[in-house]
Amino acid sequence: MLQKKVCMLGSFSVGKTSLVRRFVESIFSEAYHTSIGVKVDKKVVRLDGQDITLVLWDIHGEDIFQKLQISYLRGMSGYLLVADGTRRQTLEDALALSNRVTETMGKIPAVLVLNKNDLVDQWEIEPQRESQLAESGWSIFRSSARTGEHVEDVFASLALSMLKK
Amino acid sequence: MDRNPIFESFIADQGYALFEYLGNGAFRAIGNSSEWCEKMWGAGKGHEKTLRLADESPFLENFLVDAEGFWNSNRPGGATSGVWIERGPGSSETPLEATALRLEGKPVLVIHNLAGTYAERQKLFQTARDSLLEHERLIREIQKKEILLHCIVHDLSQPLSAMRGCFNILSLEKLSGDVKRMVETGQRESHRQEQMIRGILEAFSGDLAAQQSPAPEAAGGASLAASAQRVVQELSPAFQDKGIRLRLDPALDVSRESNVVGDASRLERIFGNLLENAMRYTPKGSAVTVGIEEEGPFLLAFVDDEGPGLPPDASADRLFALFAKGKDRPGKAGLGLYFCRITVERWGGKIGAETRKSGGSRFWFRLPRATKILPERKPELAAPAEKPRFVAAERRPAAVARLRAGKSPRRLNILLAEDTDVNRELVIELLHKRGHTVVAAENGRQALAALAKERFDVVLMDEQMPEMDGLEATRAIRAQEASSGKHQIIIGLTGNVTHEDNERRIEAGMDGFLAKPFDMHVLFQTVESPPRGIDRAAAAHVVPAQAALAPPAEGVAEHLWRTTAGNEKLIRSLVKSFLADAPKKFSGIRRAVSQKNAEKLASAAHALKGAMGIFGAQKAVAAARNLEAMGRAGNLQDAAAEFRALEEELHHLTRNLLALQAESKRAAKLPAKPHRPAPRSRRKR
Repeated sequence: MLQKKVCMLGSFSVGKTSLVRRFVESIFSEAYHTSIGVKVDKKVVRLDGQDITLVLWDIHGEDIFQKLQISYLRGMSGYLLVADGTRRQTLEDALALSNRVTETMGKIPAVLVLNKNDLVDQWEIEPQRESQLAESGWSIFRSSARTGEHVEDVFASLALSMLKK
Repeated sequence: MDRNPIFESFIADQGYALFEYLGNGAFRAIGNSSEWCEKMWGAGKGHEKTLRLADESPFLENFLVDAEGFWNSNRPGGATSGVWIERGPGSSETPLEATALRLEGKPVLVIHNLAGTYAERQKLFQTARDSLLEHERLIREIQKKEILLHCIVHDLSQPLSAMRGCFNILSLEKLSGDVKRMVETGQRESHRQEQMIRGILEAFSGDLAAQQSPAPEAAGGASLAASAQRVVQELSPAFQDKGIRLRLDPALDVSRESNVVGDASRLERIFGNLLENAMRYTPKGSAVTVGIEEEGPFLLAFVDDEGPGLPPDASADRLFALFAKGKDRPGKAGLGLYFCRITVERWGGKIGAETRKSGGSRFWFRLPRATKILPERKPELAAPAEKPRFVAAERRPAAVARLRAGKSPRRLNILLAEDTDVNRELVIELLHKRGHTVVAAENGRQALAALAKERFDVVLMDEQMPEMDGLEATRAIRAQEASSGKHQIIIGLTGNVTHEDNERRIEAGMDGFLAKPFDMHVLFQTVESPPRGIDRAAAAHVVPAQAALAPPAEGVAEHLWRTTAGNEKLIRSLVKSFLADAPKKFSGIRRAVSQKNAEKLASAAHALKGAMGIFGAQKAVAAARNLEAMGRAGNLQDAAAEFRALEEELHHLTRNLLALQAESKRAAKLPAKPHRPAPRSRRKR
């Protein structure tokens, strides 16, 4: 069966682990448990009549305590760049991280996920910024691991991009 | 390898599993591996078979590339994988870390089970990250409040500017004794209101400022005795009205050096606040005494009253706390004494209160003597020998306000860029009366066009304007000057006077700024003796004013009559231009809301807010202010609802203005005299 390595990248507490749990196990926990290190999960998806195993690398969020080891990205077919829509800075940090990835590994299929869309009243990312990023070529989804909104779509969209490549 | 069962048991007990790398992805367990290792990979005790760990774990598969890289190199030490969570049978999760080593010349992979320490490590990370998130949340809260605060400050400054402008214009006229006194009262009270607004905001901003101690502007010091003397002189009439005698302690020698850490304007506000407090609690017929005592390297200032003394349950902490109010005769917002405390503490001093043995209470503050003694400031700043420091108007010596008005000795050509009609007209009127010529622009772009056509001695530049704001226009002017070598004097007009605002002005290239509302004398002094560059240190701690002052309960006609000093021509012109412009401004807001364009919404709402403020339409202004704040914060979630509120209020205002206009046409007079509010004075006629 076709296997694709997908990395979850982004700052801490943006919801990477929650997105994976929602996608793989259909579970969401309200409590925030910070991730240390890497956790690898698998899920089979069917796209265009074809089964693909997504090997999901949930990599700890970057901050002053933990830096991303680029070696974790080896063999990656695509990545989800996750930002917290209620914390504007996480988007900018995610984009900087994505630049580092591109510098090291070249252009790789990616989807930008603005997570926590259930917290609309705290939303900090201006629509103009979103449009600007979309115009620059980003495939963007507003998702919520809590409600499940667009979670499947995010992974499906990335899987399609990886297949097309 | 020789086997050592004790050592192997110890290693296994510590959670380590060792594997020798055989090449091509194959490993062989060394010694007695742990139980977890057996469960996970079947590599248990005495297990001799070859394992393909890369097939078992995607993470190890990835790490094997780095490990082989190390084994094939001559690098000393080892290569470590970092932590990963390995899923085992029954969805168990085990935190592991792998290290590639070279032992006895053989490639060895050591896998360490971190279950014993992982929970503790995660707890530490969790605490640290929770703290970071909380810190981020607080910063965002503060930012949101600051945005709202700035909007409110700006709103409050505009009508106050108009009021002070009207009083200033009136004071230039030949007035009878009674009217002159009334105008002076108006000038004094509007100045007092300005001080109150600033004081309230300063109290809110004080906690932040208190972290910088002592404040830079305080380092030079100020005379405690001179400040006490000035405040006593200023407040004596108010005390007299209440039948209380206000006096300086006879033992106080004002001529004696009494410089302390602090700045004069805030020292005077501390004395003022303590005296206002004393006035509320001192019975008629008694006395309040202000004095100073020496305490080694400190000076202690006191305000003694002959009231009932402090309540038994009153502690200094409570008295000087934020929003602390007396029970029987409460003051205003409960900020006066709080302001005193944070200011005194910021200067390295202490403040307190106690009941005096002889009766009454003593409020005191102790400040360190200033190390650098500056010459005491002159009581009057009549001559332009000393160039004024162009910081907010309230920081200028009070004596400036007593400058004689009249024609300027030199006629200046001034460019005024101001988008708010009423403010523009008032400043023009004042400068005309002073003998200057004024060219007006409504935004930065128009100002640039005017500058391209003729030469100006001074440019007065409002900061927040549509199309091109004052800072942007200033940057454009400075960019043009880079080749010409000329320097145009540019003075900012602003309601925002925080340190950050000031930094922005410096960065843009302004030579100074006038904080709205400003006194006409300060305006004259500024344009006639313009500065070259903003004094960073002096302006560093000026903060904007904010207060939720209750709007006067009056109709639009009464409001206009009051704020324009009954200038019917001006009122007609204001109503006409508003009715012509407001629909365009409103459409701009509608567009910005429907397009979810936060930046445009902030700018359009700001423009309409300024225009509506002239008519005292408080609810409409509040709705526009909220929309402006939403735009600035980039959060438009409630914008549609607020827009509807604005629409309703604007409709109401427009209807009133149309009625006013119709009435004016009928009576050829606007507003009709019967609309004037009845005089509130109880003075006999």
